[in-house]
Amino acid sequence: MKAIATSTKKVITGNHAVSYGAMLSRVQVISAYPITPQTQIVELLSEFCANGTLSARFIKVESEHSAMAALIGASSAGARAFTATSSHGLALMHEMLHWAAGARLPIVMADVNRAMGPPWSVWTDQNDSLSQRDTGWMQLYCESNQEVLDSVICAYKVAEKVLLPVMLVLDAFVLSHTAEPVEIPDQELVDRYLPPFRPLYRLDVNNPHAFGGLAPPETYMELRYQMQQSMEQALSEWERADEEYGELFGRRYGLIEPYHTEDADLVLVTSSTVTSTARVVIDELREQGQRVGLLKIRLFRPFPSEAVRHALRGARKVAVIDRNISFGAGGIFAQEIKSALHNHRGLPIFGLVAGLGGRDITPATIQEIIQYAQAHDEPEDLVWIGVKR
Amino acid sequence: MSHVNFTVPEVELMGSGHLGCQGCGATLGMRYVLKALGPKTIVVLPACCWTIIAGPFPYSSLKVPLLHTAFETAAVAASGVRAALDVQGDTETTVLAWAGDGGTFDIGLQSLSGAAERNENILYVCYDNEAYMNTGIQRSSATPYLAWTTTTPKLSPKGEPKKDMMGIMAAHRIPYAATASIAYPDDLVRKIEKAKSIRGMKFIHLLSPCPPGWKISSELSVKLARLAVQTKVFPLYEIEEGTHYTISVMPDGIPAREYFTQQGRFSHLREEDTERIQKIVDTEWERLLDKCRDHM
Amino acid sequence: MSKQVVFQSAREMPPMAISLNDMGFNKTGGWRYLKPVYLEKLAPCRVSCPAGTDWPRVLTLAAEGQFIDAWRLIRAENPLPGICGRVCYHPCEAACNREHFDGAVSIQALERFIADACFDLRPETHQREPRSERVAVVGSGPAGLACAYFLARQGVGVTVLEAAREPGGMLRLAIPSYRLPRDILDKEIEDIAALGVKFQPGTRISSHVELEELWQSFDALFIATGAHHSRPLKIPGEDNAGVMTGLEFLRSVNADHDIEIGKRVIVIGGGNTAMDAARTALRLGAHPTVVYRRTRAEMPAIAEEIEEAEQEGIEFIFLAAPRQIRRVGNTLEVECIRVELGAPDASGRRRPVPIPNSEFVMETDCVLKAVGEEPELPFLSESMETSAGLVIHNPKGLLEREGIFIGGDAQSGPSTVIDAIASGKQAAKAIQLYLQHGHVRPPKRRDKRSLTEEIAFEHLNPDYFTPAPRADAPHLVPSTRTASFSEVKGAISREQAIAEAQRCFSCGVCNFCDNCRVFCPDVAISRVDSAYAVNAEFCKGCGICAEECPRGVISLVEEER
Repeated sequence: MKAIATSTKKVITGNHAVSYGAMLSRVQVISAYPITPQTQIVELLSEFCANGTLSARFIKVESEHSAMAALIGASSAGARAFTATSSHGLALMHEMLHWAAGARLPIVMADVNRAMGPPWSVWTDQNDSLSQRDTGWMQLYCESNQEVLDSVICAYKVAEKVLLPVMLVLDAFVLSHTAEPVEIPDQELVDRYLPPFRPLYRLDVNNPHAFGGLAPPETYMELRYQMQQSMEQALSEWERADEEYGELFGRRYGLIEPYHTEDADLVLVTSSTVTSTARVVIDELREQGQRVGLLKIRLFRPFPSEAVRHALRGARKVAVIDRNISFGAGGIFAQEIKSALHNHRGLPIFGLVAGLGGRDITPATIQEIIQYAQAHDEPEDLVWIGVKR
Repeated sequence: MSHVNFTVPEVELMGSGHLGCQGCGATLGMRYVLKALGPKTIVVLPACCWTIIAGPFPYSSLKVPLLHTAFETAAVAASGVRAALDVQGDTETTVLAWAGDGGTFDIGLQSLSGAAERNENILYVCYDNEAYMNTGIQRSSATPYLAWTTTTPKLSPKGEPKKDMMGIMAAHRIPYAATASIAYPDDLVRKIEKAKSIRGMKFIHLLSPCPPGWKISSELSVKLARLAVQTKVFPLYEIEEGTHYTISVMPDGIPAREYFTQQGRFSHLREEDTERIQKIVDTEWERLLDKCRDHM
Repeated sequence: MSKQVVFQSAREMPPMAISLNDMGFNKTGGWRYLKPVYLEKLAPCRVSCPAGTDWPRVLTLAAEGQFIDAWRLIRAENPLPGICGRVCYHPCEAACNREHFDGAVSIQALERFIADACFDLRPETHQREPRSERVAVVGSGPAGLACAYFLARQGVGVTVLEAAREPGGMLRLAIPSYRLPRDILDKEIEDIAALGVKFQPGTRISSHVELEELWQSFDALFIATGAHHSRPLKIPGEDNAGVMTGLEFLRSVNADHDIEIGKRVIVIGGGNTAMDAARTALRLGAHPTVVYRRTRAEMPAIAEEIEEAEQEGIEFIFLAAPRQIRRVGNTLEVECIRVELGAPDASGRRRPVPIPNSEFVMETDCVLKAVGEEPELPFLSESMETSAGLVIHNPKGLLEREGIFIGGDAQSGPSTVIDAIASGKQAAKAIQLYLQHGHVRPPKRRDKRSLTEEIAFEHLNPDYFTPAPRADAPHLVPSTRTASFSEVKGAISREQAIAEAQRCFSCGVCNFCDNCRVFCPDVAISRVDSAYAVNAEFCKGCGICAEECPRGVISLVEEER
């Protein structure tokens, strides 16, 4: 079917794009706790609940830990569940992130990337979400407000298919508080795309089961094996969901987005809003005749290794910009790229850490990164960009 | 009637083969509570002895749905279940949060307070065996004054009194809170049935003796639960709307020593300790009576 | 039964850890080293009752208001509940465990209430197939009646011979109607007659020849002729006019014969006959004085009768023994001597020793001698002896007269109504054995778990009993009692009876209170028909059921493995 959405266009912030996405997904139970810079998401959802735009129960809990626990209860009982958080709030949830994934609950959560304290910071970096890398959540890093809205809807589609939760990530302020024109899709069409949540098993007095009991060594590993199988299956489910969404609404994002990579000697790897800045720089350098390209990583978990390898097949150098750091090692995206390519060919991969704690990554920063990579042949695992040593 | 005969509902929603220790008070408690609630009940279970008692994957000793959840989340996970049922149009099913004293008095207190403040329409039962029994008898804030546990050895028994959990719940002004005992199943069933009929947050503090943790022989768990009531150590009462106190079972007023001397965890008590405890028991009892009188 | 769930691969598993079965596969019975066994114990009331009435079960029925079933259950052991409910010395109450709690259960008042509640009811006459054997019972006192009753219930043809004009023996001749109204006595005899027992009043067996004839016409005989011969005082003047035996006096009054005793009456003796005689004399308008040679504590009469006699104003002179009786014109002079208690005699009681020069004289119109009775057995041949057993032996110990049994007061000397009933019942059992097997050795019991253990108060769990005051039977006020022969002791009400029956601890006897089932943490106890069953697959042997059984029915025994 052709994409002829009778949508409306609104100028809204990234945070409100999340709220609209949740509203259009007809979430049934919301539970959240305020934290900057996420708060606007749940404020607007509160409005939606209050004015009847959305018929959901909103449990205003006393902590993020409880927010996730409440959603675990709600999702186990068969409700489509949503929350949003950031930084310390996400860290406090950590235990329950494992729980939600291990319980195979298709919860969707927005995380507004904010640096971890101390010292206190409210500005963006990715250490909060990447610290949750191994909890069994799928992670999706968004670049625009439109992508944010569309991704919430797609996230439920995939989550409910593979029975794993999704963390949808957007940058603090750069996206969360920046208004852009966003197409708000028609509800009927969204309903056609995303049918009501019908879980395989739920807490049901007519068909009672216990959920999450003690698993002895004889069964635990198989349950974990199944989770990994589902993660692998999720790659194609994301492809399918993206494709179907594109057919209905005319917008597709892919798991990754290669930009001028075909003939590039040097490929920059980015995620989130840094991508937009990098795209401008790449265009400029291309006009100057430089063979540089860009690869945006959108889906971080499951990691689309195969697609990344394909996109980088012609590159001679790769420079990964990480707005995060795994202390004692380096940037996390860089590790992921290295890990994806390691057994395939000896491609030099530069790991460059920039923009921590909300420090701007400007076109000049990107150019500095490109020049560094072009100037060096032996890659270093960790290169600090813009740090005053 | 000269005999005390218990009338509890016939329905059995807890099955045999569970992993409760011999004479486990907490299993008796679960059995009665489910009898009172019936099959339209969903149990939310944080880490506690019952995590084990319920049985491992892929089994359950309960005939009602059961959600295992993290230690500190009983009240809020139950809130989530409630919300999900409500939005799906099921307002009839009871959501029962069933937690131990550690999960209630200590690690779960925050989320319990949150649920109480929101007046969530759930029933929270704390089966109190007065220590972290599942991890091997460590002190909790529900452990009584001068009791032995593995972290309060006899040379330095617990120096603080038991936390006043009922006072905390009363301060939240929830519609209904009550203490109960496995030795008084009909009283317990009545309170659960009453709680079931009330909308909003309900809290039951259920004393559940633990033979290994209290160092008593298994046949004595009901007897000690009864003695706790009769000696006024654990009085049975109800609190409505946080203010209206009613005694449910008038204690015989047996000296508290009768209760303490039968338990190994108090075997180190000296005469003066017992006397001090008796004074505390008497003072607390008078305080309770005062609260009852305030609203007569 | 529940099976274990086995997964061969991850593919067979659900995606998350959900339960697919219950825990029934997990046989926790293997944890057990002690197992609960329902082992009923003997209640002390039942042990102490010579007839062995199963009071715990009777009172369980009464507590539910099922008085007819309660009455039938009493009659399984004792055919005379209306009589025993009035005149028994109720050893059951003395033994009652509730005495250690808040006062014994008023069992006698309950027995009377139950019997009275069924006064208009005829017993069911269905019985075993009528049998060809015929048994003659000589004497229709409580022993004879009981024997006839138990034999008739087994289908044996019974004929009861009675010397007096009406059956009942001492019940009718000696016990005054203010203690035992005659309609009650008549009713319970009629109930026995209703089973097909034939009564032949006015038939006295007074010689060996007559006994021999009887023996020829029946398959067995039971001699229960009582103890009607009053012992003499063995003092001068005891045959004077105006001196008679207490039994003679009671027999005349009870037969409505006119008898002149005057105003002043001296009763000599301290037993039941003495009390009955004194109280009957009082009701005829006399002022009786009881003279007894020991103290009140040694009086053999049942305590209740002594108390009632005292309440009615009867005068007692203790530690005095009559020396002689003289007639002086219209007056009798009874000379007595003061005594003191010395060393114990053969009966274990301290022997009265006269105090020299302490004689005193009392004037009276009538002397009633009541110092004991003994059996009269003129029909036994010289070679016959009654032994402790029931069968009459010759001195060599060989069975000379097969099928002749003896019981009641005729065998034991004067005793109580309930002892006589027990004796008659025992005789009936022996006679049945004799009729069936030709000997009286009881067959070996096959059930090894026969009731043997008597349950003491310490074995009960008194937490399950709440104090409740004992209901005593009301008594007429002494001033109104003495004006007539109206029954002194009244009845308790239906409400009182139910409440009083509910006081019974039901010691050692399961009354299905359900505690064991309610308190089982392993849901391993169920009620199947009229018993509890322990599921050995799951019972962990915690012992709560035994601890919480209010009445000590459940025992914990070592698990055999």
